[in-house]
Amino acid sequence: MRRHRRTRGWAWVAPALLVLGVFVYLPLLQNLQYSVMKWDIYAGGSSFVGMANYEKLAGDPVFWRALLNNSAYAGVSLVCQVFGALLLAALVEGLRSERWRRALRAIYFVPSAISLTVAGLLFYFIYEPELGILNAALRGVGLDSLTQAWLGQEGTAIWAVIAMSQWQGFGYSTLLFAIAIQRIPQDLYDAASLDGVGPVRRFLQVTVPLTREMTGLMIIVTLSGAFQVFNEVMVMTSGGPNNSSQVLVSWLYRMGFGRNDFGYAAAIATVIFVLTLGVALLQLAITRKRRVEW
Amino acid sequence: MKNVRLKVCAVTAAALVSLTACGGGAEIEAADLTAAPEYDGTLSILTKFGGEPLSPYFEDLTAEYTSLHPDVDFEIIQETDQSIKDKTKTLVASSALPDIYFSWTGDYADKFIEGGLATDLSAVLAPDSEWGSTFGAASLDAFAKDGKYYAVPLYNNGKFMGYNKALFDKAGVAVPATFEELIAACPKLEAQGVEPLAFGNKDGWPGLHVLQQLFAYNVPQDVLEKDFVPATASWDHPGYTTSLEEFQTLVQDCTATGSDSNGVLYSTAQQAQSAGQAAMYFQEILEFDSVVTDSSKITAEDFGIFALPAPEGAEGDPAALEGSPEGMMVNARSPRQALAVDFLKFVTSKANAETLAEAPFSQPSTIVGAVSESTASPAVVEGVGKLNEASYLLGWLDAVTVPDVADAWLAGGEALVSGSETPEEVLSSVRAASDSAE
Repeated sequence: MRRHRRTRGWAWVAPALLVLGVFVYLPLLQNLQYSVMKWDIYAGGSSFVGMANYEKLAGDPVFWRALLNNSAYAGVSLVCQVFGALLLAALVEGLRSERWRRALRAIYFVPSAISLTVAGLLFYFIYEPELGILNAALRGVGLDSLTQAWLGQEGTAIWAVIAMSQWQGFGYSTLLFAIAIQRIPQDLYDAASLDGVGPVRRFLQVTVPLTREMTGLMIIVTLSGAFQVFNEVMVMTSGGPNNSSQVLVSWLYRMGFGRNDFGYAAAIATVIFVLTLGVALLQLAITRKRRVEW
Repeated sequence: MKNVRLKVCAVTAAALVSLTACGGGAEIEAADLTAAPEYDGTLSILTKFGGEPLSPYFEDLTAEYTSLHPDVDFEIIQETDQSIKDKTKTLVASSALPDIYFSWTGDYADKFIEGGLATDLSAVLAPDSEWGSTFGAASLDAFAKDGKYYAVPLYNNGKFMGYNKALFDKAGVAVPATFEELIAACPKLEAQGVEPLAFGNKDGWPGLHVLQQLFAYNVPQDVLEKDFVPATASWDHPGYTTSLEEFQTLVQDCTATGSDSNGVLYSTAQQAQSAGQAAMYFQEILEFDSVVTDSSKITAEDFGIFALPAPEGAEGDPAALEGSPEGMMVNARSPRQALAVDFLKFVTSKANAETLAEAPFSQPSTIVGAVSESTASPAVVEGVGKLNEASYLLGWLDAVTVPDVADAWLAGGEALVSGSETPEEVLSSVRAASDSAE
């Protein structure tokens, strides 16, 4: 009877396992296979090259620049979209007026409702050196010396892209943190107030610990997202000028679809997978250990 | 229980293996292109005519062809100049290349030919054939390899400096005869409150086009052809350094955006000339009728063209021009090759070639006699005439060489514009890319 039940159980999950195997794990394995091959998409042939693509990757300065750009993206996103968003959510949820709370949540969320492609184009025109409103605003307040081609200079291009991305993403994080804060029992805040605890300590000792799971989740999502960023870079700079704003996925795309080097592109994809998997496993381990129950 | 697990694993593994085995295309026998086609089935086409005003061209022609042959349907994929490369590679990688597809000349076309994806059209398209003799011979030769003809050239293209005659007159500037005269004219134009040369290099290739024309002037043709192939390349001719320095001078002395030009779209530059705010804009023949429109401030009478002038004493060929035809290939693995050829004959008939040359399409057809005063604007006619007079045509830098080297030039061109690298540093990167691509 027990055996029959187990068999039936496997039968129920088999379709899902098959779909997962075909559409998730098989491509992963195939990617690993491609990363040790040289593949000519035109002639259709491929040959085994061992670790050559990974050796090439180690000596490729643009790959390292891309990795650095992704790391910068991750760092800024952690500050803005996790810690900044948590702080903002606490401030919004701390307002007495429900009307203001609702209005602010909606205002902060609006940029997230805009597609990344549209936001990228919008910011391209904001950053445009001659016609853009950013330089016009700087000129308007007498800061002419700061005006520049934000997306056209190697020193500013990636930071301009990151800034747009924060604008686009922080509202969504704020909304999620707001929901997490709403789940904290009001009694805890009332008790802290009765004990004479000020707003800063209430935030640090009530809000922060009790939103730890959401914070952990947001860290995973933000860091993983930071190593998979693509759309905004392609729309705003295509990785230029002089590859200064390349990120791992845009470089992968360039190698595959620009240079027909799909084996090398697969090696970059493997690095991205290892990085994001590592981040996810680490964060899951940390948050599981420090879960707070109430 | 162990048995059940094993069975599940075995079934899953078998399913995965069978799915991975579903790849690759069947070999198609070479078709007899001279035989009458079977007017039946669906022809797929990948064009570079996405967006207005070009997209109706193939839509209209396919509808007309279907009205002539009701059993023939079409699937049209229309891409733009910017997106066609990626789309094509995706289709190639997924074994879904259409029956007829767009191609540039040079290394871009060679990839399809060497990969066995381009049908040898020599039997019907050779210059001495009935159909081939209707094309300009040079445009057919641009797609020839080892004496075989692989693509139907649809239109010619070349790069010229479009200028505003009224602004030149106002500044007392004549059409420059040398590169040095061009640079000297820029301050005079700027003094009139206009941008001497509109330049937007956000996508990188506008800079490459200027560089390639300067290479044609400063580097002998045989050296260029050797350098485009990694196996024989050295990229050490002094004309390259001279060209890179001249390019930097042009950007710094003649554009208003200077080192910020990497942040400007090429279409913004095009609009600057169209709006009468810029005296010059380096453009393709295909763009002439987009700059001068009913709503533009520059009039057809005020719009003139000249080849980017050659530097004095340059070692290359001052009569060479940058340009090449663009055309359509027939998929060698298509089961409908004869039908594809028949449709392309229909597309390149004199009447349809004239339609292509006329507004709103304004593409200088490769069919002899299709571009004339009665079908095309005076600037387009003049541009095609200059291309025909050129000592030789040098293809686009990002298409004539392998992608690794083209990419190095793309990044190098941007670095020269922003001033982050010297000409020697750029050349060093190009040499490294060429060596590794060998």
